[in-house]
Amino acid sequence: MQTILETRNLRVEYPAQAKGQGRKAAVKDLNLRVSAGEVFGFLGPNGAGKTTTMNVLLGFVNATSGSAFLFGVDVREPIARQRIGYLPELTYYYKFLTAEELLRFYARIFGIPRAEADRRIDRLLKLVELEPVRKRPIRTYSKGMQQRAGLAQALINNPDLLILDEPTSGLDPLGRMKVREIIQRLKGEGKTVFFSSHELGEVETVCDRVAIINQGELKVEGRVADLVAEHQANLEQIFLKIIGYSPEGPT
Amino acid sequence: MKGRIPFLVLLLLLATCFSLATVIQPLAQGWSKRAGSGSVLKMLLGDSRRLFANHFFVQADVSFHSGYYPSIFDQAQAPGNSRHMTAKEGDAAEEEHEKQMNFLGPPRDWVERFGRHFIITAHTHLQGGKEREMLPWLRLSAELDPQKIETYTVAAYWLRDMGKVREAEDFLREGLRNNPDSYEILFELGRLYRNSHGDTARARNVWDLALRKWADQDAAGKKPDPLVLAEVAMNLARLEEKEGNLARAINRLEIAQKASPNPEVLQKQIDGLKNKPVAAPSER
Amino acid sequence: MNAVIAIAGVVITELYRRKDFYVLFVLTAVITLLTGAVNFFNDPQIVRYLKEIALLLIWISGLVIAIGTTARQIPAERENRTIFPLLAKPVARGQVILGKFLGCWLACGLALIVFYLFFGLVSGSREHHWPLVNYFQTLWLQWMMLGVVIGLVLLGSVVFAAPSSNATIVLVIVVGILLLGSHLNQVALQQPEPVRSIVYAIYFLVPHLEWYDVRDFIIYDSPLPGWADFGLATLYAGVYAALLLFATWLVFRRKPLNL
Ligand SMILES: Nc1ncnc2c1ncn2[C@@H]1O[C@H](COP(=O)(O)OP(=O)(O)OP(=O)(O)O)[C@@H](O)[C@H]1O
Ligand SMILES: [Mg+2]
Repeated sequence: MQTILETRNLRVEYPAQAKGQGRKAAVKDLNLRVSAGEVFGFLGPNGAGKTTTMNVLLGFVNATSGSAFLFGVDVREPIARQRIGYLPELTYYYKFLTAEELLRFYARIFGIPRAEADRRIDRLLKLVELEPVRKRPIRTYSKGMQQRAGLAQALINNPDLLILDEPTSGLDPLGRMKVREIIQRLKGEGKTVFFSSHELGEVETVCDRVAIINQGELKVEGRVADLVAEHQANLEQIFLKIIGYSPEGPT
Repeated sequence: MKGRIPFLVLLLLLATCFSLATVIQPLAQGWSKRAGSGSVLKMLLGDSRRLFANHFFVQADVSFHSGYYPSIFDQAQAPGNSRHMTAKEGDAAEEEHEKQMNFLGPPRDWVERFGRHFIITAHTHLQGGKEREMLPWLRLSAELDPQKIETYTVAAYWLRDMGKVREAEDFLREGLRNNPDSYEILFELGRLYRNSHGDTARARNVWDLALRKWADQDAAGKKPDPLVLAEVAMNLARLEEKEGNLARAINRLEIAQKASPNPEVLQKQIDGLKNKPVAAPSER
Repeated sequence: MNAVIAIAGVVITELYRRKDFYVLFVLTAVITLLTGAVNFFNDPQIVRYLKEIALLLIWISGLVIAIGTTARQIPAERENRTIFPLLAKPVARGQVILGKFLGCWLACGLALIVFYLFFGLVSGSREHHWPLVNYFQTLWLQWMMLGVVIGLVLLGSVVFAAPSSNATIVLVIVVGILLLGSHLNQVALQQPEPVRSIVYAIYFLVPHLEWYDVRDFIIYDSPLPGWADFGLATLYAGVYAALLLFATWLVFRRKPLNL
């Protein structure tokens, strides 16, 4: 199976934020491997280091040590990002542009020919149900609408790998279901999806494999079905156990 | 509106910068004179209008030179007086001024040499009616500092030259209202009466008044400009001579002689008049 | 190149969707027309003071637009986090810088064209002649100068955290160069030794933006600099802008973006 996404002993430290405080390691010796066609859930409590890991994968933050690869290319090369789509944790786009213009802008960055771009934009706006508001500046969108514009933007280049940072946060139940459907459809098309989420039920239904990290360290990794069988518990219980929570109190 | 505020602040800052820069030049020139003249606050409040007025006057001079003008960094000082602004080709004042304005030495380095291609490097004066371009700056200067006498005389000189006699007269009268004791304005007014209206009687009255004002100021120890006195007196002498009042003409020439930088020339004229037979008073 | 052009396109879209440019233009037009309406000694042929004021306003507006637009580009991308989806595409950071530069510079060029059209209209309606080549040269040189200024602002925007302090610092530098740049060698001569060498070094290092201010030539109807000098000046500005962009890239290349 081809490896699409890989980190090797990845370590990320942030400089001290306050006096007397040392450098803070947000990710510690992380080894991940995601193969083609997988839907991979990246889990962990708040502050675990999920976003930081993704930031390294996208080249926003430099690894302190270790390395990361997409499609076998070091993430420091822009070309590594040719075939990926990314949805940031918090969506912010050029608010003075309309959804249509935003998508056209990203299409031009990928060098997608005009006619083809028009076709994709139409399709994507229908997919995320922004068709009726496509000519309105993003400034006038609700949070969920912006999130959906973000999802459309992540798909503009028909990517082989999607990196989604909490794609369902801020969406209503219907919106979440739609996102799940989209992920499943992408999987059906043979795409790879790497996403973080706090919705464990959702993760359980769509993911092939998951990794759970806590305080920057990888705790558990494996196929969802295997984990459930091994621990004799559902994903949520496993998660809580790993982060050190027991119903009686912290152990 | 929110996004615009820093913009407007920037604009304001810029405007301040530019106006500060334009103020610095006259300020630096006037600094030495003003040192020790009371508190700084007084200087700033009282003088700011005058500084701007002076700036616009300098701007008129710059425009007279089509942009060729020394800055405070050039070794040569900017022209100290406005005499050249009304001087014709070949005048003594003009030659002096020519030397003064030769402030661009040979370039010191390649930056300067190349930079010369982007500034005006020829000393020229406006001519052929283009002198009108100075007038707005002079008008502004007079507006801000009505006590700046040169403003009126220079502007009136060129207005007259352009045939705008009525405007010249109005402007001079305005100047005289603001400066009732100015012999310079009276002199210019006299020239206007004689040259433009051919009204020698009024010219003589005004010039006589100018002589008196000059004498008053001299007596008060205000150090009035002797060159103007000489010119007024010489013009008067010519007037009297034409009308046959030789004695008065000689008297005026003698006044001029005292103030003139080259009295010998005048002495010859005086001698010439003295030897002239007392002719019948001409036409009149 | 696709990416660079696309990024530049967004910058230009932003400029004309924001109202700052219109405010400056209307301000310039109103002030010019008001001063044009003043009657000086009943002489309608007087025109140079009007040209002087209009060009001064255009010059100030050009600087304000260039600095104001450029200073917020990269900080706004980071603050609004739009830089993240952008860099998640196969876009190198150098392309972002180049795109921002190109966008700001072209936007300034467009703004200048509008301003100079207005200027030509006003001065031409009084003088009844249109020295188009002169207008072109003046506009072009000013535009080249703005290129250097934009490079400077971009560099400042990756070095300083706050766009406002960046804009202020660059403004002071630029106005300083415009006013003092050509006199620093004379200033140097009057200094004692260690200072003198420093001032001289500055003199030779700073971009001589004051060259590009040829307003006097159109105000006073002088023939403009020859085409060779014109070309050399363009080259000089290009080299400086490239140097500044390179420095910007060096700083920005490995900068962690979520700090
Ligand atoms: N710019 C930064 N400077 C310093 N520390 C940071 C910075 N960004 C994140 N951190 C720290 O790194 C750790 C990991 O943060 P990260 O954003 O990766 O968490 P996360 O797993 O995405 O959490 P969440 O579920 O809340 O999104 C946290 O302790 C956080 O405080
Ligand atoms: Mg996160």
